[in-house]
Amino acid sequence: MASGRTLHVRFTTWEQVEAFHTRKLRRGKLLSMKVAFQAAIGAQVTLGLELPNGIVIAIDGTVLKTSPIAGDTKTWTEIELVGFTEDVLSRIKAMANSGETAPAPAPAPAPPPPPAAPRPRAPSIPPDISGDERQLFLNLTTELRRMRQLAVHEVLDVPRDADADAVRHGWMTLVRHHHPDLVARYQAPAISHLAEEITILGNRAYDRLRSALVAEGRATSVGSVVQEPAGWLVGFEDLSSVDGSSLRPNAKSRPGFATPTPPTGIPAADAAAPSAPGGVQGGEAFELRARAMLGDGDANNAQEVLAAALCVYPRSRPLRSLYYVASAVSALQKGEVMLATSQLETALAHHESCREAGTILEHVRKHGHARIDEMRKLFK
Amino acid sequence: MTAKGRAVGIDLGTSNSVVAVIDNDGMPRILTTDEGMTTLPSIVWFVGRRVIIGEAAREGLDSSPETTVFGAKRLLGRRFDHPEIAKLARILPYDLVAAPNGDTWIQLAPGRTISPEEVCAMILRELKQTAERHFGEPVTRAVITIPAWYDAAQRQATKDAAQIAGLGVIRLLSEPTAAAFGHGAHRGANRRYLVCDLGGGTFDVAAVDVDGGIFEVLATTGDPFLGGDDVDRALVENLVRDVRVSKGFDVSTDAIAIERLRLAAQRAKHELSSTSQAAVHVAELVQLPSGKGIEYNRALRRDEVELWSAPLIRRLEPPISQALAGARRGRDQVDEVLLVGGSTRMPAVRRELARVTGREPSVIANPEEVVAIGAALEVARLEGTIEGVLLIDVAARGLSISVAGGDCELVIAQSSVVPTREHRVFATRQDDQARIEFDIWEGEAPEAAKNRQLGRYAVVDLPEAPAGDVLVLVEVTLDTDGTVRLGATELVSGDRLQLEQLFHAGLARADVIRLARQLAEGS
Repeated sequence: MASGRTLHVRFTTWEQVEAFHTRKLRRGKLLSMKVAFQAAIGAQVTLGLELPNGIVIAIDGTVLKTSPIAGDTKTWTEIELVGFTEDVLSRIKAMANSGETAPAPAPAPAPPPPPAAPRPRAPSIPPDISGDERQLFLNLTTELRRMRQLAVHEVLDVPRDADADAVRHGWMTLVRHHHPDLVARYQAPAISHLAEEITILGNRAYDRLRSALVAEGRATSVGSVVQEPAGWLVGFEDLSSVDGSSLRPNAKSRPGFATPTPPTGIPAADAAAPSAPGGVQGGEAFELRARAMLGDGDANNAQEVLAAALCVYPRSRPLRSLYYVASAVSALQKGEVMLATSQLETALAHHESCREAGTILEHVRKHGHARIDEMRKLFK
Repeated sequence: MTAKGRAVGIDLGTSNSVVAVIDNDGMPRILTTDEGMTTLPSIVWFVGRRVIIGEAAREGLDSSPETTVFGAKRLLGRRFDHPEIAKLARILPYDLVAAPNGDTWIQLAPGRTISPEEVCAMILRELKQTAERHFGEPVTRAVITIPAWYDAAQRQATKDAAQIAGLGVIRLLSEPTAAAFGHGAHRGANRRYLVCDLGGGTFDVAAVDVDGGIFEVLATTGDPFLGGDDVDRALVENLVRDVRVSKGFDVSTDAIAIERLRLAAQRAKHELSSTSQAAVHVAELVQLPSGKGIEYNRALRRDEVELWSAPLIRRLEPPISQALAGARRGRDQVDEVLLVGGSTRMPAVRRELARVTGREPSVIANPEEVVAIGAALEVARLEGTIEGVLLIDVAARGLSISVAGGDCELVIAQSSVVPTREHRVFATRQDDQARIEFDIWEGEAPEAAKNRQLGRYAVVDLPEAPAGDVLVLVEVTLDTDGTVRLGATELVSGDRLQLEQLFHAGLARADVIRLARQLAEGS
């Protein structure tokens, strides 16, 4: 069946098999099912019925009718199972009877899989594997199959919003159990290969989660290590200035924690922009410098300053959004409108009341570009 | 294990190489060469068709420097247009040439070139034979140590060299990890190490964390042109001046005299690590037209050596500061400083490293050998006799891919933990397109010119279909050794596709096999 599709239906109990041929089929041949693709009417499909004893029966069918479901990506598809003959039905019934009478040592070709196995199909064991390596091979195969179906955070067995320590701990636990070096002593290529595949899944999950944590400003990463950022509670403005002026008037009231007070010297329009509630804020001095640079049209240096500021205040939403604004301005100066748009959208995603990002984005969307001098005015 | 042949640990160094084994009693042991030395100088002297390796090849440095190759490790897997190679080409007494694929090769005589892989293979084979004599049975596999910053091309070149020597690489191990492992870091509590490796030609600094038996390299920096050889050169320069003053000869353009002075100065330098005065003695520095030889004798004090090498010693500080900054560590956040490499025996080097790191470094009894011991322990670990230890490595540089001369797109980012795999999907752009060509680059820049090309490949025999209907999935795998593997699949049918290699950095597979056969037959 090179041209048609194969639809797998897996039955875990013989009751389900009986329900299938007694209740699910209309007129003995017609089956309606939700499928994730849009099938053409008249198309050939194959239904693979996977029985509880691991045997798969292939039944040919033709698509009769399709109707899309509102609000769902799937489609109701009616299939006429032309291959579902009396002969096939009697075979299934015979197997159901023998399966019920002798449930434990099922006549499946594979040894009984561990209870956690999602699919009771037997992997083909290479001939050079013997004895206790056989069990290891089967365990690794099962584990790899299970992990291939998981989301990245599930691979490391951590919650979706796990912090740096949890991600690192999850990854370390995984590599401690599955690193290919641990099975190198068997000198069996098939076992090493499985362990490597599992480790690749774990390493990729770890790399993805840690770059996400770094991008969110929740962690820093060096080499293979990811850790909580050190020092974001104390920042630049907590240091006293030589000339006695303070960028933050209430710095003394809560030492160590910056508060969402608009910095002095920022125009009224900017001051009106609310800061993110609840988040730790800081780095107004950097923000001021960056704004001044953006006002002068020096987007590249503004970006540098903001990148430096974000090392100290990785959780400051205004700084982060301004960083993306600076990046967008720099892109617009080079005429890269697409890049600028995505950067502005990112800025808004980080801090939705970022006024400059909103204004420039609106302008770009309306006119397809933005005037450099107009943009500079925004920051003055 | 024995059926597949013994495995050894090899520290393939710029100046000296060491082989270590796990002996029959389960202890790691350094093997000695025929001359009774624990280190084999990484020197290969080509005398006509004959090849002399190791201590005996030092004579070649003296008599025919243009066919005596030392420091081949620096050339391994490097493009000829790399700035470091340009610098080396000016310094080295033998000639460097560009290979047809842009790699750096060595020209021994007009029309006779040799790749650095082959030179390293000769050194590896010498070490292999040493181990075979020790065990009395074949040695077929090895753990080989490499600098932590080696990129995929250099790692592949090291593997090729081993294959030519008849050794299967069971693991490429980064030197700082090997040093910490050899030092016994896996046995103690969790520690943060700073490994300072001052060898013959290079200075490498790495921050290595050991946490619950897992070794991780956080940051590596170094000075590729700082080592014991540079100290020797500084000594020679000063001795040449002394010869001019005391004997009235200018030997600065006499390669043979320079080499003799260098050997004498090196001997004196080694002696001065434990004494405060040593003698420089050259029996025949130059020959007068009458045939009479001129002898040169001079007492060398430790403070003189330290004064002459002071500009070099001062260069130790920047890489250490950079490594600490790269690991986001302060000096006080390092638990232990490990000194590796023979040149750290110099008292002045120890003093300077203690000053820069703010703590007294750990004294290792055998700084030249600890890396090889680590490699031997890695053999034991992979054979299952050491448990609970994992050595984690990351991609030294990012890998990018480009199709049909377009921009490079990052596939695997720098510092990704290996082994790892990423994929890209390419569609055909014309009806009935039969092949798709793509390039693999090392580096993260979108501009191809800023990256190093690892290879050009073509996916061939694509099925006939309208443009865009054939989708090719290219999988790039960085394996545990940090070397690249590629695979291609046709997405619709799931068929594996044939990959044709059009260009490659390093040696071709066929050449490696041919050279391995040649070297085996030659012995």
